[in-house]
Amino acid sequence: MSRNSAQWTRKPRLPPTHYADPVIYSDPQLFEEEKEKIFKRVWHLAIHESEVAGPYDYRVYQHPGGTQLIIVRGEDGKVRTFYNMCPHRGNLLVYEPFGNAKKLVCIFHQWAFNGKGDCIDIPRADAGYQDRVCKNDVSLKEVRTEVGYGGFVWVNLDDNCGSLAEHIGPALDYMLPELEAEPLQTLWYYQAHLNTNFKLIHDTNSEFYHDYLHYYNRVTGMLDPKSGYFQRKYTAFPNGHASVGSMMVKYDAYKGSGRSELGWPKLPPKGWKLIDLFPCITFNLRTSVLRIDSYIPLAPDRVILEFRILGLKSDTVEISRQREKDAAVIWSPFGRNLHEDLLASSGQGIAMASGSEAMHVLQAREEELTIHDEVGMRHYLAEWSRRMGRSASSPLAVLLAGARVA
Amino acid sequence: MSNNRSDVEELVYDTCMLLDAKDFKGFLERCDERFEYKLSAYSPEIKREMTWLDHGRAEISELFNTLPRHNTDPSPLTRNAVVYKVKVDDDAKRASVVSALQVFRTAINGGVTELFAIGKYYDTVDLNGDTPRLLARHVKLDTRDLGWVHHVPF
Repeated sequence: MSRNSAQWTRKPRLPPTHYADPVIYSDPQLFEEEKEKIFKRVWHLAIHESEVAGPYDYRVYQHPGGTQLIIVRGEDGKVRTFYNMCPHRGNLLVYEPFGNAKKLVCIFHQWAFNGKGDCIDIPRADAGYQDRVCKNDVSLKEVRTEVGYGGFVWVNLDDNCGSLAEHIGPALDYMLPELEAEPLQTLWYYQAHLNTNFKLIHDTNSEFYHDYLHYYNRVTGMLDPKSGYFQRKYTAFPNGHASVGSMMVKYDAYKGSGRSELGWPKLPPKGWKLIDLFPCITFNLRTSVLRIDSYIPLAPDRVILEFRILGLKSDTVEISRQREKDAAVIWSPFGRNLHEDLLASSGQGIAMASGSEAMHVLQAREEELTIHDEVGMRHYLAEWSRRMGRSASSPLAVLLAGARVA
Repeated sequence: MSNNRSDVEELVYDTCMLLDAKDFKGFLERCDERFEYKLSAYSPEIKREMTWLDHGRAEISELFNTLPRHNTDPSPLTRNAVVYKVKVDDDAKRASVVSALQVFRTAINGGVTELFAIGKYYDTVDLNGDTPRLLARHVKLDTRDLGWVHHVPF
C-alpha cells in the first residue's frame, strides 16, 4: 500500500543507528560543518609518492577543506606540502597540476620559494619594504604530511592532529603486506565530477548488498557457493574505518572477462581485499590491481571522485599493460562496474536533492556482520555523528550533549 | 582496391552512425577479422597514457554481447567525426586515417544535449576489398573526466 507525505517522511520503526535523515546528504549548512569538523581535521590521501618521483617534482591537490595544496619533493628527497597560495597577495603559486621546479615562482610579482617553503627572493624588497617585511616573515604555510601505507602521501590541515598511524589504527593491517611488499606506481589517475553527495558514493564501497546492481559481481562471486562470497565478514575499526574479508573471484564465469593470471605480491591467487577509511577513501586490492578511490566534496550535491589504479614499480611494460587490461574490465570509465556504481549513487543524488522530500535512508540490514550486512555504513555514520556532534538520524536536533565542537 | 578518399571517409562516418544506433553487428561487419580496438587518454597528472580499453575483435564482440546484462545510462550518444587526414600506402593496401571526434550526450530526460568527450580516431583501414574495412582503431581522448562514465566504446 502506498504512503502519504506524513507516512513517507516519518522516522522508521528502527533503532536510530539503522537509518539516516536524508538531509545529511543535501543540507548546505551541514556540508559547511563537515568541512570544519571533519575534512579539516582528518588525514586525507593526496597523491602517491610515484607522482613526485624526482627532486623538485610537484603535484597539486585540491583539499576537501577548500584549500589548494602543492606537494613538493625537495632536493633532500623529502615530500612536503604547502598551501598553493603566494603569501604576498594570495595568487596561485602554480597553475599546472604537476611540474618540476627548483623554485616556486609566483607569476604575479615573481616572489620565489624553495622546496622547504622558504621565501628566497622578493624583487626590489629593500626599495619597497625597507625593513618592514622580510623574507622570513613570508615563508609558505606548511601542511602536516606523512608518507606511508604503500607510499601514499597523506596530508592533514590540522597542525595539532595526531599521527597518521593514530588515525588509521589497525584498519590497514590486513592489507599491509601487499601494500608494502614492493614499491608501487600509479598507472591511472583521473577524476569524475558527479552530482551527488560524497557519502552516497562512499556507501557503494561500504556495502555489497548492491551487488544486485553488478551482473559481473553476481556471476564471479555472489552466485558461486564455493567463492566464499557470503562468508566474508566486516570488521569495524576505531575512527570509522571498516574492512571486508577476502574471497576468491571466479573471473572466468564472466564471458569475455579477459582476465589474466597476473597476481599481486602476498595476495592469495584471485584474492580480493577491501578497506574503507573515514571519511572518504577506499583501498580495493583485486587480484592484480590496487584501486584507490578518494573524494573531494565541492558542495552537498557535487563531488570529485579521484580514481587511481596502481601496479608495481618493478613491472615491465607488458605487465603494466596487462594490469591495466585487468583493471579496465570493470573499473575503466568504460568498464562494467564503475558506470553502474556512479549511475546508482548519482541517481540517489538526483532523487534526494534538497527539497525533494526524501524519506529516511535505511541502513538496517543485519546478517551477523557478513557481506550483505550494512554495518559498514552504520559504523561510518557513528563516526560522522561523533565528529559532527549531531546524530545522523536527527542531525538538525540540538547538538548532542558533550559533543566535540571544532 | 578501393583507395578513394571518399570511401574511407564514408567508412569512418558509417562507424559513427552504427555505434550511435547501437548496431554493434553492423559496426563489426565494417571491421576486419583482425580488428583491434584501443581507447586511451593521457593523464598529465601522472604523465602517463591510460589505456581504458584494449581488445581484439573477439573481445570487443563479447563486450557488445554482454552490454544488455548491465545497467547503463540510456541517454543516446552522438558521435561526430571529421576526417582530417587519409594517407594511403599503396604497397600495403592500407590507409592511415586521423579524424577529429566529438561525442555528444542527449539526456533521455528532457533532451538537453551536452558535449561528453573530444578526442581523435587513429584508424588503420584495409583497402584490399571492394570496400574499405577497419583494421584497427585507436581512440585517443582529450577528455578524461567523463562524469558517471559510459559502457559503450566510442
